[in-house]
This record gives sequence, C-alpha cells and structure tokens, in this order.
Amino acid sequence: MATTACFIIVSRNDIPIYEAEVGSATKREDAAQLHQFILHAALDIVQDLAWTTSAMFLKAIDRFNDLVVSVYVTAGHTRFMLLHDSRNDDGIKSFFQEVHELYIKILLNPLYLPGSRITSSHFDTKVRGLARKYL
Amino acid sequence: MEPDVSIETSCMIRIAVLPIGTVPPSLLREYWSMLLRHQTIPLSAISSFYTEHQKSPFAHQPWDSGSLRLKFVLGGSPPSPWEDFQSNRKILAVIGVCHCPSSPDLDSVIDLFNSACKAYSSSLVNSCFAFCPGDSQLEDGGKKGGNLRLFPPADLQTQEFHLQTMMQDIAASLLMEFEKWVLKAESAGTILKTPLDSQATLSSEEVIKAKKRRLARAQKTIGDYCLLAGSPVDANAHYSTALELARLTGDYFWYAGALEGGVCALLIDRMGLNDPGLEDGVRYQYNSAILHYRKSFIQDNAQRVSPLSFELEATLKLARFLCRRELAREVVDLLTNAADGAKSLIDASDRLILFIEIARLYGTLGYQRKAAFFSRQVAQLYLQQENRVAAISAMQVLAMTTKAYRVQSRASISENTLPDKQVGSSHADGGKVHHQSVVSLFESQWSTLQMVVLREILISAVRAGDPLAAWSAASRLLRSYYPLITPAGQNGLASALSNSADRLPSGTRCADPALPFIRLYSFPLHPSQIDIVKRNLAREDWWAGSAPSGPFIYTPFSKGESNNSSKHELIWVVGEPVQVLVELANPCGFDLRVDSIYLSVHSENFDAFPVSVNLPPNSSKVITLSGIPTLVGPVTIPGCIVHCFGVITEHLFRDVDNLLLGATQGLVLSDPFRCCGSAKLRNVFVPNISVVPPLPLLVSHVVGGDGAIILYEGEIRDVWISLANAGTVPVEQAHISLSGKNQDSVISVAYETLKASLPLNPGAEVTIPVTLKAWQLAFVDSDAATGKSALGSMVRQPRDGNSPTLLIHYAGPLSNSGDPPTSGSVVPPGRRLVVPLHICVLQGLSFVKARLLSMEIPAHVGEDLPKPVGVDDIYNEGAIGSEGKMERLVKIDPFRGSWGLRFLELELSNPTDVVFDISVSVQLENSSNEDTLSADQGSAEYGYPKSRIDRDCSARVLIPLEHFKLPILDDSFFMKDIQADGPASGRNSSFSEKNNKAELNASIKNLISKIKVRWNSGRNSSGELNIKDAIQAALQTSVMDVLLPDPLTFGFRLVRSSLDPAKLDSPKESVLSSAFKGSVLAHDMTPMEVLVRNNTKDMIKMRLSITCRDVAGENCIEGAKATVLWAGVLSGITMEIPPLQESKHSFSLYFLVPGEYTVVAAALIDDANDILRARARTDSPDEPIFCCGPPYNVRVIGTA
Repeated sequence: MATTACFIIVSRNDIPIYEAEVGSATKREDAAQLHQFILHAALDIVQDLAWTTSAMFLKAIDRFNDLVVSVYVTAGHTRFMLLHDSRNDDGIKSFFQEVHELYIKILLNPLYLPGSRITSSHFDTKVRGLARKYL
Repeated sequence: MEPDVSIETSCMIRIAVLPIGTVPPSLLREYWSMLLRHQTIPLSAISSFYTEHQKSPFAHQPWDSGSLRLKFVLGGSPPSPWEDFQSNRKILAVIGVCHCPSSPDLDSVIDLFNSACKAYSSSLVNSCFAFCPGDSQLEDGGKKGGNLRLFPPADLQTQEFHLQTMMQDIAASLLMEFEKWVLKAESAGTILKTPLDSQATLSSEEVIKAKKRRLARAQKTIGDYCLLAGSPVDANAHYSTALELARLTGDYFWYAGALEGGVCALLIDRMGLNDPGLEDGVRYQYNSAILHYRKSFIQDNAQRVSPLSFELEATLKLARFLCRRELAREVVDLLTNAADGAKSLIDASDRLILFIEIARLYGTLGYQRKAAFFSRQVAQLYLQQENRVAAISAMQVLAMTTKAYRVQSRASISENTLPDKQVGSSHADGGKVHHQSVVSLFESQWSTLQMVVLREILISAVRAGDPLAAWSAASRLLRSYYPLITPAGQNGLASALSNSADRLPSGTRCADPALPFIRLYSFPLHPSQIDIVKRNLAREDWWAGSAPSGPFIYTPFSKGESNNSSKHELIWVVGEPVQVLVELANPCGFDLRVDSIYLSVHSENFDAFPVSVNLPPNSSKVITLSGIPTLVGPVTIPGCIVHCFGVITEHLFRDVDNLLLGATQGLVLSDPFRCCGSAKLRNVFVPNISVVPPLPLLVSHVVGGDGAIILYEGEIRDVWISLANAGTVPVEQAHISLSGKNQDSVISVAYETLKASLPLNPGAEVTIPVTLKAWQLAFVDSDAATGKSALGSMVRQPRDGNSPTLLIHYAGPLSNSGDPPTSGSVVPPGRRLVVPLHICVLQGLSFVKARLLSMEIPAHVGEDLPKPVGVDDIYNEGAIGSEGKMERLVKIDPFRGSWGLRFLELELSNPTDVVFDISVSVQLENSSNEDTLSADQGSAEYGYPKSRIDRDCSARVLIPLEHFKLPILDDSFFMKDIQADGPASGRNSSFSEKNNKAELNASIKNLISKIKVRWNSGRNSSGELNIKDAIQAALQTSVMDVLLPDPLTFGFRLVRSSLDPAKLDSPKESVLSSAFKGSVLAHDMTPMEVLVRNNTKDMIKMRLSITCRDVAGENCIEGAKATVLWAGVLSGITMEIPPLQESKHSFSLYFLVPGEYTVVAAALIDDANDILRARARTDSPDEPIFCCGPPYNVRVIGTA
C-alpha cells in the first residue's frame, strides 16, 4: 500500500464531492492541505487532457515533487483523482474502475442529487477497502 | 536566476537607471516611462551618431533593418558572477536621472553620479539626464559638459524628442564601445571564468585544458556582443565556431550557452519571417542546450554552485517561446520538469523566481488553478522570509490567487461576475431554480483550500500591516467557514477583526461582510391603523372593493385583475415611518455586538434609522429596522448596512438567500439560521415598494384610556373616540362603518360629528361619541364551552374578535396642488383606520326566575272614587302626589284597593363583586282610546324606587302588572281567540289559529316590551336587563288575566256631600274627614251609590245585588242578627248598561255598630255573548255568568 495517497471525487462543476486520505502514512494536516492544492491545480490539466483520449483512465497526468496525480474521468465528466507516490498503474486502474461502479450505485440512488456531496458511509468504507486492496 | 527571461533576453543591452539626488517618486515614474519608450533603437536612426574608427568587426550588421535592444534596470543591480558567461547580464551603461529643482547644485549631482557609476565597472557609457533645470543651472551646466545632459523645460513632445536624440547618441556610443571590445577580445587573450570553474589552483593539465577552452569561450562572448550590437549573422558565425571548439574541449556549459545564443541569433535573424521549421529548430536546439546544461553538472562543487539555474532558465525560456494553447501539453511538461528542479536549487530567491515564472507561464497558458498553486508556493516562500516587505509581496501574490480559489474579495468582483447576480435575482423572482444553476453558484467549493488561502492572506496581511486586507480576509474566513472553525478559532478571528479595526480609521468601509448573517424576515404590511386603500373615483363609496372583505384570502367574488397587481405592491408614504423585519444570525461561539444596523437603500429616497443589537453565541434574532421615505419613487432594499467589528459593510439579502438555497440542496456546509435554532427557510416575498406623496393620517384613541372597555352584560355606555390627523394633509372625506362581530352592540355612532368637522386639518382633532351596549355573555360562554374547550380563557376573549370594530375610510384632497400635471391622473389613495372597540363583557346581574303573583287588597268606599276601574290610576296618583321622584313607592290608594292586582316577581342574583341598583320602569302605551286619562298617560313611564342588590346576593323585584289592562273588552281581540278555542270552528281553525297565536304573541311582546329593568352600578355603569324571554315564559299562562279587563267593573261611593254640605264646614268634620277620610258614622243614614261600568262593546243586561259583610264575614244585611239596616233595593236590581257606559244605583245603609264592613257588588249577566263567556271561561252556553266585583271596605266610626 502506498504511503501517501489522497483520493478525491470532483463533480462536473469542479466541486469536490468526496475526499479521503487513504495513505498509510500518518496524517498531517498541512500535508492533506497540500494534497488538495495539488489535486485542485491538476484539474486544469485534466480539463484539456480529457478530450484528447477516449479512455477513461488518464494515467498519471501531473506531478509535484514526488507526488503523482492519476485521473479517471467518467462519462458524466466526474473526475476521480488520486494523488499517490507509488507507481502502480494497474492497481490504480483497477481501483478507479471499482470506485466507478460504487459511484454509479450512488448515482442510482433517487435521493442523491448529482453534483452534491457523497455522504454515504457505506461508500466511504468500500472506497477505503478498495484502496487497501489495490494501492 | 533572473525573472522575466526569454530567448530574446540574450540580445538586450542592460542599462542601469539611477535616480541622482532626490527625485520625487511620481516624477521618477514619469521619467522612467519616458525612457521605456526607447527600448528599441533602430540602427538606421543611430547611423548619424556613429563614426567608424576602425573596421567594424560586425561585418554583417543590418543597418537598414536591425536595431539595438535596450533593457532598463531601475536602481541598477549588483554585478552577477555569471557576467562573463552571458554578456547581457552586464550593466553596459548607466543613466542617471536628476530632477534639477530638488537638487540645485549641479556639481554635487555630478559627484553623486560619478560615485554611483563606480559600482558598475562593466559600464561602457555613463550619462546623467538632468530634467527641468533652472536658468542659472542651464548656464552653469552648459559649461560643465561631461556626462551631464540638461533637458531644458519644454513641452512634452520637445522633451521626448530631446530624450530620443540622447538615447540614440548613447546607443551609438555603445555600439562603438562593443566594436572596440570585440576587436580587443579577438586580439588579446581575455580570461573568461564562471563560478563553475574550479577555484583551486590549477594543475598543469588543467591549465592546458583552460587555454584550449579559452578560445571557445572568447568566441561565444564575441557572439554575445554581436547579438547585443544587433548583428545576428555575425553572432551566428561566432557561435558556430564556439560550438565546435567547446565540443572539442568538452566545455558543456559554454557549449550550451553558445547553443542558446545561436537560437537567439536565429530568432532575431528570422524575425518577421513566417518559417514553420523555425519552431522545431528552436525546440530541438533548446532541448539540446538544456541537456548540455544538465551534463555540465559537476558533483564536487554542487554544494556551492550549480548550472541548474541555467538549465531551469533555459527550460523557462523554451516554455515561454512555446507558450500557446495548442502546445499546452508540451509546456506543461516543461514547467513540471522545471518545478521538479526547485528542490535542488540552492538559493531561496532562485526558487522564488522559478515559481513566479512558472506561475506566470501557467497563467499565460490559461491554467488559472495551476498558476494559483504556484503563486501560493511563491507566497509561502515570501512568508518564510519573515519581513514586512516580503509579507506585502506575499499578500499581493495571494490576492491574485483568490480568483482561482474563489475566495476573492467582493471589492475585486465588480461587474465581471454578473451571471452570479443574475442567478440570485432570478431565484428571488421565480422562487424555483433548476438545480444545476444552483450547483453552479457553489462551484469549486474547495473549502479546505479556501480556508488555507484565506488564513494565509490574513497572516500575511497582519504581518504586512494592512489592517483592511486582514479585516477582509478574516471576515471572509469567518463568514464562509465558521462551521469548520473551532470556537477557539472563531474567537481568534473575532479578535483579529477587532484588532484590525483598531488600526483602521473609524468609518472605514469594507466590501466583504462579516457577521451576522442577515435575511429578510418580512415586510410588515401597514398596521391596520394606517392601511392604504385605493380610491375608486367612480363610486361614492370609493373604498369598496379595494379592501379585503371577509376572512378569506381568496374571494371568488373579487375580480382577478385588480388583485393580481396590487398584491405585489407595497405603498409607503413620504414622511411616515415604515418597518422591515430582518432576521440576524450569529452562528459563532462568541458574543456578537452589532454597533449599528440599518437598511441599505440605493435609491436615495429613504432615511434609515440605525439600531444596535447584541447577539449571544449561536443565536438568531428578528429585529425591526425602520426608516422614513423621503421622496416619491420606487424603493429597493437590497440589504443592510452593518457596522460591526469596527468596519462598515453592506450585507446583501441575495447572498444569504443563495447560501440558504445551497444549504437546502446540501451544497453548502451549514445553514447559519438553522444551526441557531431558527425556523426553516421561508420564502420571503419581496414586494415592489413605491413611495407616494404624503397622505392624511388619522390616529385614534379612546378618551379615557385605550384599554379594554369593561362592561357588564346589558350595560349601556357612551365611549368617546378621539380622532386626530397626524399627517400633513387635511382629511377631506371620511366615512364610518362597522365590522366584526357583535355589531349590534354599537347602538349609535355620531357620524354627523365627524362629517361636520371635515376637512380635518393636520393636527386637528375630533371626538366622536359612540354608544355601546354590552351583549349577553351567555352566547359567548356556550360558544367557548362547545368549541374551544378550556383553552379559550376569559382573558383572551376580548382579543378573540368578539368586539366590533369601527372602520373609518378617509382620504385627502383629490390632487395635490404642488404635483406636476403628469401625475395628476393618478388619484392619491385613501386610507382606512380600524378602531377596534375592545369590549370586555363581564357577567352582570343574572336572572334567576320570574313568576306571577297576585295580590288583593279591598278598597275603601269613599266620596270621590268613581274612577273607572279598568284604567286605574293608583300609581299615577301616588307618583304625582309625592314630592320627589326618588321617593316613588307603589302606593295603593285605600279607596281604590287592588283587586286582581298581579305582580311579576323577578328574582335576580348578583354574582359579581359590585353593587347593583335595580330600577324597574314601565312604559305605558299612549293608547288611542277616548279615555279621560290620556293626558296623564303622556308622561308614559312609571318609575319605581331602586332596589339594591349587594354582591353575592339575590333579590326580588316586583312589577305590578295592572297597568296593562285593556280599557275595553274587545271582541276584535277576543273573537279569534274564541274561534281558536271553540270546538265549533274546526273548519278554518288551522289558519286562524296561527293568526291568533301570532296576535297573542304580539300583544304579549308588546306588554313585555313595556317593562324595562334597568340597573346601575357604581358611578357610570348602567344598563338594562334582557329578561324578555323570562317574562314571556312567566306570563304565558295567565296572560289573559293580566291583559283583559273584567266585563263589568263595580265601584261604590258615598254620596254624603249632597246630603249634608254644611257639615263639611265644621272644623270637627274637616278634622274627621281629614283623619278618617271616607269613613262613615254609625247610627247615621249613609247614602251610597254603586257604579257599574260596562267594559264591552255590547249592551249588557244583568241583575245586580249588593251584600254587606262584617269583619267576621257574616252577612249583616240579611238574617236575624243584622247589624245594618238599609233603604233602597239591594238585590235583584235589573240593569241594562249600554256599551262602555256606566250606570248608578243609589241606596243607603244604616250601620248600627261601628267597625269594618265590606260591601260587595255582584251581577248575574243574562244573555251573555260569546266574549263574556270566553272571558269567564265557561263552556256551557246556558250557564249564567256571574260577575263579582272587588270588595270595598267601609269603616264605620262610632259617634260617641
């Protein structure tokens, strides 16, 4: 498992709707903030890159220092962004695909307003489980 | 590293610009901008200043198209250790700027300039520009010559021309200096070193190596000068040589430098040509240069110096060259690589420059978020420097990032975010928005980042000593992210706000609102006191239809068109205070003191009154904000102006509305009102407010206090309502109407008083009497008992709307004289004043029961009592005879007696705690008969003395009912009764029966209505008991006895006067007659008369008989022991009495024994008709009807 990983789901309106620090490293507040800053900045690159490929998984698209940003863009332009320090493309890809399935289940909930924050604790548990499995 | 580098930097001549002496900053800026216009000087322009001393080394100089590029460095810069490597880093010229009026001594200026120039050893040309010299200075300076250049005062154009000439001169001098330098460099061996070269003493091998390298370095430097001289072709030639030589010696650093120079030469040469291959060439060569810079990295002196900054600079130069949207990918890669290099940079300022450049390039590329990210890195580096200047820089850099992080100050959002505003307003209008647009309102809610950025702005602003920026950042942080901040943090922010405010001048305004959150609570419609009613000129009752009628919000009968438009409008009147309710919320954990808050109105026609509020932690409060409209026109209230934490801010309702909308959608962290325990979001309707010219304003109060009018049941009281015109316009029309429940209780309103007082001028007052009569509480009680159970407490009853209200519609003049004619068509509206009469009815006297009693007192036989019995007048006599009306008693004349007198006994109880006085009065009808007493009946009322009922007592009141006897036993009344009762009249009975009953009831009602039971209590409470039903019930059975007279009435009288008139004169007799009036002497013949009156309209035949009894009731005329002798006929007297006439029968009695005797007349009526029969209640037609008169007393006095 990666020592540092920050997973975030950004809605098509560029609002973070789910955030999770999934790294095994001890959590530090300023580090978590930096992670978010990096991911936020990477949105600029995703926004251009997403239209250049038909693949949903955009691989590592940005990095800052030794932190790499991998992105998966769903058909509805929801972006799954993972900040990590390990190079494990296959694991990350599987992680994204499984999270995508979970996300679709969330979307199918008639009480969920697309674009609003995901507050389901079940989703959170599952995502953290997937992170342990693949990253 | 240097900021702002590009490929073309290599060909720029660096010139230091130094202010000499004191130059005011504004002037320095002006001179600086003048200089900046001469950054490019065409070679063609300097040819006149250029003199070729030797053969120029720049063989291919393009004199027609080429130019020299100048780069001005204000204030100069310290010499760089890399000057030898890149000649453009040298300061090649120094220009002094002097403002003559502020430094009068030109000698000292020259000295200052010369000493300043000493710092720049590399400078080839020095020149001091002295602007605005005085006349003496001009003279003086002309002699000085040397480096001083005087710019005589002239117009701008001339001065600029002068400057241009000077610059061309300097450029020509530079060009000549370059030639000199190149010629010298080619011939003599110049040692060119960089910090990269080993500082240690060189070994022999290295000396040989350095010699070889020297040639390459010289060629590269000559190439640099060729570039500076504007000759790219020459430069390229030298660079090519340098490349060859450097490759051979393995001098990668200089090789890379030559590559860079070559690219620059290529670019300058091809400038203006559209060469598609050029970009690829530049990219290839620069990548190669970057590669070679990297190769030149030497491990052993990596701690001290590194070529890394040149590699990064080259990367940035390439990135800047490629920086276009299409090549974004490539640029991003370059910049990412450059950013990676930051860690390895030794110098902190190099890192700063690198991040600044990366941020700028990302910004150019349109990657705002990336730019913001690196800007923040820059700010962090600044903040690490821990000094004020760096903090100011950090603050400014962070301020640039706020847009990308969407935390910008409202001051920086002016017009460019119009869409946001539109969404807000459309929400207010439509009430419902598509959720996507709602979501877009909260775009990029990266709260973590936003909080960090705001906190950093706050820290840097505090450190930089900018209290307003600190205040603004703290307020944004507190307002937007309070749910994420701990109470301790909130307190810290609050103190940061107050600390900043302490340093601000009072009255400072800030665009960013802090706390509290303010939302519109409601626009109270006019209180009913000052309701505005549209005037309908077409109708007399102009208010009709415009006011809501009835309790329904929607009335199907009201016309739709008028309702729709008027509903959305609120009318305010110039000069009359209005109120708006707003709700404030303080969701934070500290006490919030709002120093003043008032409505913000941009339309300039409203004076708002400030109030101050204290909000405890986590609380919300609804407050009333008021103000006075000052001018006619529309008013919009976008928000409130709040003075809180020492700064004045404007809080817009729209922002909070959007926030609350977001909260309902789950897009915003928290609803500030909800977490303060306030109610759920309500949709507040914002009406269109318009201000109309002044209207009259009536103010009412009840004279004697506006409290509830406390009345006992049935009480009648006058209330005076005072109406005053508090407006500035006279009231010209007014109309009073009643509404509400219990309208009956208002007996009269003095409409005329109000009408008479019109027009009611401003300040005038009119008092209107209103007579009230309290209603019966019983109905209310039963209502309350059935409907409202225990909740409807007695206290609330007057508020429950049982009381009637007076509606006064009034209006001013039709048009104001001062109005312009355009608005003349608009009729100023009228107004409605609602005066609720708060009547509180208390339980008063209560009626227990009524019953009918009969009383019989025999009459005395006297001289003068021939009065008809049917229309007796005992009370009349008693009443008039007595002196004071207060002393009225029921006096029964002993001569008259009271036979068949009936009393209505009313039992009343007083459950209250006051004393009631009861007075009964009976109103006599002015009957139309020919009776002689009609004159007396005109007085119409009989009063009885008051009876007093104490608290918690009950009392009985007797009402004599004999007054009601009809004078005539009339068949018109009675026949029908007979028909109804009679068995023979079965055919049409059903119809007539009803008829009869109705008439009977009518007569009973008539009777009852004559009886009035009035009470009063205390000084000013009086009223009437409503006991009609009770009386009716009591009378129902015996109404006939009460109402109808007997068919015959009998009366006795003494006929003494005619017998012995002389006796009256004797004093004894007179004494006697006064003492024993109507008494009879024993042993004396007493002539008497019996009067029989026929009360019917038919002739009655009868047989009269008279009997006399003594006290024991023995008949004393007949029998053995008769004590009375008689003369005349006493029995079987046959009489015929015509209708409504009376007959006399005379007789005489001789009493043997003194004492009390009773004389009774009785008659047997022959051939009685149906009426008599019915009256006597006999069924059989054959039975004779016996009619007995009332007994008369005769008092017989002994003579002895």
